[in-house]
Amino acid sequence: MNNTPLLKINNLTVTYPLNSEGSDVLKALDNTSLKVNSGQIIGIVGESGAGKSTIGKAILGLLDPPAKLVSGEIIFLGNSLVGLSEAQFESLRGNQIGYIYQNPMTALNPVLTIGEQVIEAIEANTDMRGKNAREYAIQLLERADVSFAEDRLQKYPHQLSGGLCQRIVFAIAIAAKPKLIIADEPTTALDVTVQQSVLQTLIKLSQQEQIAIILITHDIGVIAETCDYVYVLRYGKHVEQDATNRVLQRPTQDYTRSLMASVPLIEKRLHRFALNEEDNLEDISTGLHYLQEKQTTQDSTNKPILEARNLSKIFITPSSLFKAKQLFTAVKDVSFTVRRGETVGIVGESGSGKSTIGRMILGLEDITEGSVIYRGKDLKLITDSTEHRAHCLSMQCIFQDPYSSLNPRMTAGENITYGLQVHKMIGSSDAKSLAQELMALVGLQREDAEKLPHAFSGGERQRIGIARALSYRPDFIFCDEPTSALDVSVQANLLNLLKDLQEKFSLTLLFVSHDLAVIRQMCDRVIVMKEGEALEYDSNENIFERPKHKYTRSLLEAMPKFKGLAQT
Amino acid sequence: MIDYKKKLAPLSLQTKSIFSGHPIAIAGLIGFVMFVLIALLAPWIAPQNPYDLMVLDIMDGLLPPLSKLGNGTTSWLGTDAVGRDILSAVMYGLRLSLFVAFIATTVGSLIGVFLGLLAAVKGGWVESVIMRAVDLKVSFPGILLALMMLAIFGTGVDKIIYALIIGVWASKARLTRSSALSEMQKEYIDAARISAIPNWRIMLKFLLPNSIAPVLVMIPMSLSGCIGAEATLSFLGVGVPITEPSLGLLIANGNDYLLSGKWWISIFPGVVLVSLVLCINVVADRIREHNNPFLKSMNMQ
Repeated sequence: MNNTPLLKINNLTVTYPLNSEGSDVLKALDNTSLKVNSGQIIGIVGESGAGKSTIGKAILGLLDPPAKLVSGEIIFLGNSLVGLSEAQFESLRGNQIGYIYQNPMTALNPVLTIGEQVIEAIEANTDMRGKNAREYAIQLLERADVSFAEDRLQKYPHQLSGGLCQRIVFAIAIAAKPKLIIADEPTTALDVTVQQSVLQTLIKLSQQEQIAIILITHDIGVIAETCDYVYVLRYGKHVEQDATNRVLQRPTQDYTRSLMASVPLIEKRLHRFALNEEDNLEDISTGLHYLQEKQTTQDSTNKPILEARNLSKIFITPSSLFKAKQLFTAVKDVSFTVRRGETVGIVGESGSGKSTIGRMILGLEDITEGSVIYRGKDLKLITDSTEHRAHCLSMQCIFQDPYSSLNPRMTAGENITYGLQVHKMIGSSDAKSLAQELMALVGLQREDAEKLPHAFSGGERQRIGIARALSYRPDFIFCDEPTSALDVSVQANLLNLLKDLQEKFSLTLLFVSHDLAVIRQMCDRVIVMKEGEALEYDSNENIFERPKHKYTRSLLEAMPKFKGLAQT
Repeated sequence: MIDYKKKLAPLSLQTKSIFSGHPIAIAGLIGFVMFVLIALLAPWIAPQNPYDLMVLDIMDGLLPPLSKLGNGTTSWLGTDAVGRDILSAVMYGLRLSLFVAFIATTVGSLIGVFLGLLAAVKGGWVESVIMRAVDLKVSFPGILLALMMLAIFGTGVDKIIYALIIGVWASKARLTRSSALSEMQKEYIDAARISAIPNWRIMLKFLLPNSIAPVLVMIPMSLSGCIGAEATLSFLGVGVPITEPSLGLLIANGNDYLLSGKWWISIFPGVVLVSLVLCINVVADRIREHNNPFLKSMNMQ
């Protein structure tokens, strides 16, 4: 029995039709094989479009039409799962194979209490009823490390944190003592400190209950922390498989190596990511010239270009018939300075107020208290509208979501230069050539300036966003999680581009991210924020090597440990 | 890999993909185009000018369909009490009905879209005023509001157009605002704001093209609604003047004769009115379905 794996997938191919006739298909999975032994945690890692989730869905017969399982076999406990009826799958799902979704908030039913949902799962899959079921539910929650399990049964999902909800999803998944759990990005929606402990719970459950787990994730760090064995996928094709340590540190395939090189490290700061890319900043004289022209006029003193003094932001929900006025303090008394040519990072978990600071500086949010001194002047006190506009235009932003940061009805080129044309800073014929030069500067094709945004991928759109920010020859750029929506290899490319541009044009950046490793790689000085307060503000080295505040230390400890490629 | 162009095509009004494989919708479109052509060409193709009192002969009054008139021509659909040829009257009535509905829908939609965008961009008291006005309008039954309007301002083609515009703008304003508000949340609007692009440009270059789709989908439905409303008002006698009969007024004219067996005076304009509205609704439904992925997937199953 020990020799036969719990689950075996042989040469699985799943296709999506690309046109209505079905003659052209996208292979979401292409001849992929995989093996899971009982009690083992295996990882499936890959970037978006790699077909990771398709594997999980194929196992449970949850492929949504028009996806089609074309060939291959899935063998679970010696029985084939291909071509089972819906009823047969239903007896399998939850009972023998559990499934954990990415977003615990949507996986739980918001109108039922936790107790009702856990007990429902117990009654559906076991013989326990009434009091027994309730006691078993408490047991399950305790096994999934839910504290105050008995009280929590009374609660509704929205009253609990994301981490707790995910633990409750775990409890539901193990209710029927399944042999296998498929966890599809179980910690992606969670903050880093929560992620750590949720993963620990997952490992514990696997060991205690002898449950095999297929962990599907894009996060190499999570794989390094949890899995014994890992499969690397790309475009539905199997790339590499082996024990986790071997694959992560000494990959044999080029793709795996470049993927690993793209993962930002927390241990040491690198000059750039070691990617195989040709340097595309060389032959772009016009674009360079346009941006450098301004530089010469700038004063080169080391005075801070931007100073935030005691910034506070209070959001007010106005009182209504049913509710009293509510105040929410998003930012509490934060002060910092940004010097010309440096990158200041703001790091914190969701809701820490990091983006709000940038939005106040850019004037997208009103400042409740405090002031922003930019190029030696308080922006609030400038009355001359032309001067005010000039200051505002020299502060630009690179946004978070590549899919919403460009006007979908304007071409890439128009997106880049529209503002300049509106302010008559450039003529329409110059605008066209400038757009092309800037496209080339950020590593895109000049002629693609004529295309609409939806013809570009997420990473390319972010580049267009960077070109748009650069078109104003800004003195200060606010980067609002510019890479959090991107795959890790695309992120590495983009961060390299930002570093190159910064070096060439001595750009000043305020860089917001929830990802400590990205901050480590990008920033000279770092502000650690929690619940609107700046807890620590120090140099990169001090924050990451000698953290003073205990919250900073807990953040650093919670980061998944990935040492990077072995030095050869 | 994935063709983003195909996948994300935001608004598909490409006639081919809307109508191919949907014979009923094609029939509706053909019908609608035919009605529009008849309306446009009425002065040249109608057997008689029903407005010209000189050509009417009271002796030809109340003749059934296919009768010979005094001047030797055949009246295919019969005549009314004053000897007007019903076929000609229907053609001219169609012309007037469509004209009124087109103008009202176009102007009403323009006003509605503009106010909706303005509310979304400006916010604050501007938004409150506009949206309360919308609430006020939609809290009255449309036909009641139009009746009140016409009672106050009197009847006439221009007056009925005003009344219909008031019926059209509010729903468009509300729809535009809600779709523009969701666009306002997107980062490209923030990008425009930090680049100090003036509000009217944000409205026209950023919001309008990105939030107009649902309004465009609604326009055919408004058109048929306007045709119906105009017919109702004219039937009730508060619409177009008796000298320029629209379809609704023609139906009203024949109403008194229905019980005495003179069915053709009301029935033919009625049939035309119903088929016209039906054609437009079939097309409107198809366009709506095409632009609503949820309905589309239900159809696929």
